[in-house]
Amino acid sequence: MLNIENLHVTVAGREVLKGINLSIEAGKVHAIMGPNGSGKSTLSYVLAGREGYDITGGKVAFMGQDLLQMAPEDRASAGLFLAFQYPVEIPGVSTTTFLKTAINALRKKRGEKELEPVQFLKLQKEKLTQLGMDPEMLKRGVNVGFSGGEKKRNEVLQMAMLEPKLAILDETDSGLDIDALKTVAEGVNNLRSPTRSFLIITHYQRLLNYIKPDVVHVLARGKIQKTGGPELALLLEEQGYAGFYGDGEAA
Amino acid sequence: MSPTANFMQKEQTVAAALPWLADAALLEKQKSPPWLRALRETGAEQFAQTGLPTTAREGWQHTNLRPLTSIKFHYSTEAVKFDARKLPQKLLEQSDCIVLVNGQYQPHLSTIPDGITVMSLMEAAEKKVEGLEEYIVSLGDLQEAPLKALNTAYVRDGIVLKVQAGKEIRRPLEILLYNTGNSSHAPAIYPRILYCLGDNSTLTLLERHTGEGVYLANSYTGVVQESSSCLKMYKFEEESCAAYHFSFFSLQQHKDSIFEGFSCATGGQVVREEYQNQLIDSGISSSLNGVYLLQGRQSHDFAVLMDHFGPDGKSAQHFRGVIDDQARAIFQGKIHVRRSAQKTDGHQSGRALLLSDQAEADFKPELEIYADDVKCGHDAASGHLDEAALFYLQSRGISKAEARALLIQSFLNAALEHVTFAPVKKVYEERIRLWLAR
Ligand SMILES: Nc1ncnc2c1ncn2[C@@H]1O[C@H](COP(=O)(O)OP(=O)(O)O)[C@@H](O)[C@H]1O
Ligand SMILES: [Mg+2]
Repeated sequence: MLNIENLHVTVAGREVLKGINLSIEAGKVHAIMGPNGSGKSTLSYVLAGREGYDITGGKVAFMGQDLLQMAPEDRASAGLFLAFQYPVEIPGVSTTTFLKTAINALRKKRGEKELEPVQFLKLQKEKLTQLGMDPEMLKRGVNVGFSGGEKKRNEVLQMAMLEPKLAILDETDSGLDIDALKTVAEGVNNLRSPTRSFLIITHYQRLLNYIKPDVVHVLARGKIQKTGGPELALLLEEQGYAGFYGDGEAA
Repeated sequence: MSPTANFMQKEQTVAAALPWLADAALLEKQKSPPWLRALRETGAEQFAQTGLPTTAREGWQHTNLRPLTSIKFHYSTEAVKFDARKLPQKLLEQSDCIVLVNGQYQPHLSTIPDGITVMSLMEAAEKKVEGLEEYIVSLGDLQEAPLKALNTAYVRDGIVLKVQAGKEIRRPLEILLYNTGNSSHAPAIYPRILYCLGDNSTLTLLERHTGEGVYLANSYTGVVQESSSCLKMYKFEEESCAAYHFSFFSLQQHKDSIFEGFSCATGGQVVREEYQNQLIDSGISSSLNGVYLLQGRQSHDFAVLMDHFGPDGKSAQHFRGVIDDQARAIFQGKIHVRRSAQKTDGHQSGRALLLSDQAEADFKPELEIYADDVKCGHDAASGHLDEAALFYLQSRGISKAEARALLIQSFLNAALEHVTFAPVKKVYEERIRLWLAR
């Protein structure tokens, strides 16, 4: 599904990713854990295609395609989804309009027919209820006036509606109380399937109690320092990231 | 400055103004009532004293009229020749339409609904239509508005439109002001339009300014709204890209009347739309909003004055501009609350989205308040498209072009949402869509 080879990325003149190697197979859940500032969000943005990152080496293949050559919208229609650590507010564009535009853009790219308004509303309502979200939110501007938890749920709602092949969740757990955390985890678990993969980025082990990962990686100093099974997350919880820190990184 | 120097400078201004008044003598030969001749003379004298406004003049700092001086414009009293098949289609299917070509009323191309009378300005002057002389003569200060003075020097073309008291005109009425010219013969067009709405009448107008080639359209629109009348006036400023458009709009609103105005400006090279709304009595609502979509080297100035005389008045101005290339948008909005205008509620807002590094927006909000119990506010800001929002939309599969369009449309919607007549709102949305896909 995803194959990252020796990826080097420089941000604002500083090398942040110093040779990442990571391979995710279909149906697998991988977790990346690491101290703050270790480059987790940088990796997620580079995969999603945000501008401002200088890719100085390496390559990324996604579903057999050269991911780094693709425009962000093409990555999305190929099946990549990023749940943002800091979801963006878009005043004036209602959440419903946003979701409808996105879902129809994806369908069009895949050569499918646009959803009828009734079909769309039905789908939206179904997913909304599953995630325990207030329908009022749909009328407001995207993420405008949303609490931290509401923003994260909105990311999961989008993921549920867009049905990606690979979902990257960047600290979707941070700032959530235990109930919200469970709902988000349930949202993810509902989507798990043999053809869908996840890359769960998190600072804490907590979320991984609810979403069982197949593989856990430790990212620090711009590299994957260690790879293991779920037990690695528990070990980190006990021992912290001591020993993994690099410059500018903190627990 | 010595008195001689001052005098010399004045002489120069007069001399420079003369080319602009060169053809005014043609009107001498026309049949018109003495008061109208006197009025033209006053206009010409006033204009000769000021000439075209320069950027040194208050309120004109950002609109440069210098390019105008290199073109020789001609005024003609002859009936304009044009190909009627070239006139644009109506904007709405269900509407009546009045056509003016180069300012001249074309009755045979117009359909007038019941309850409305329409005449050319000269016909109205000959027939001594009630209140016309008084209204046209009480122009306000010509010295304050040089282009209004210039228009007055040539007062002849245009129409007088009256809505009978108590009449509710259901079908929207389109006023097509079509202009045609070319660079070897660039016409100067000076239409004067008068809309009078009787007590308790209602009217929905679509005023479309458009044309082809090079020309100067210097129009003056006067509106009188009697008590409890309601006017919705939707303007389309879609002049040819080589044209100059200077319009002066003067509105007198009486007790409990409602005015809802909107202008969607996409055309012209150098454009200024000036609006002066007078809220004369109590309980008046006046709202004037607009969007500008500018590109190339266009320059567009909205200069709006909401002048509150009576108490319990409400006024609103919402303007949104999307400015590309080296274009320039100017918004000068003023709320003037006189001592007698207690409980006034006035708001104005101007925002611009700059799509290029060389695009420019100049905003000058102004409040002048003499009453103590009022609620007035203003805001103005300009900025660029939000890159983070663009990426967020793209990351959900929306193409960059569509994401930009979505963000721009939502930005403009803050002005557009004040258009309460849905069929026109749709036409405006379509205009915006076309501009974005250009
Ligand atoms: N746009 C940027 N400009 C400058 N520095 C950046 C930018 N984005 C990230 N960085 C730096 O790159 C490093 C990694 O950041 P980030 O990927 O956000 O880490 P994490 O998500 O693991 O906390 C940090 O030192 C951060 O300051
Ligand atoms: Mg991060």
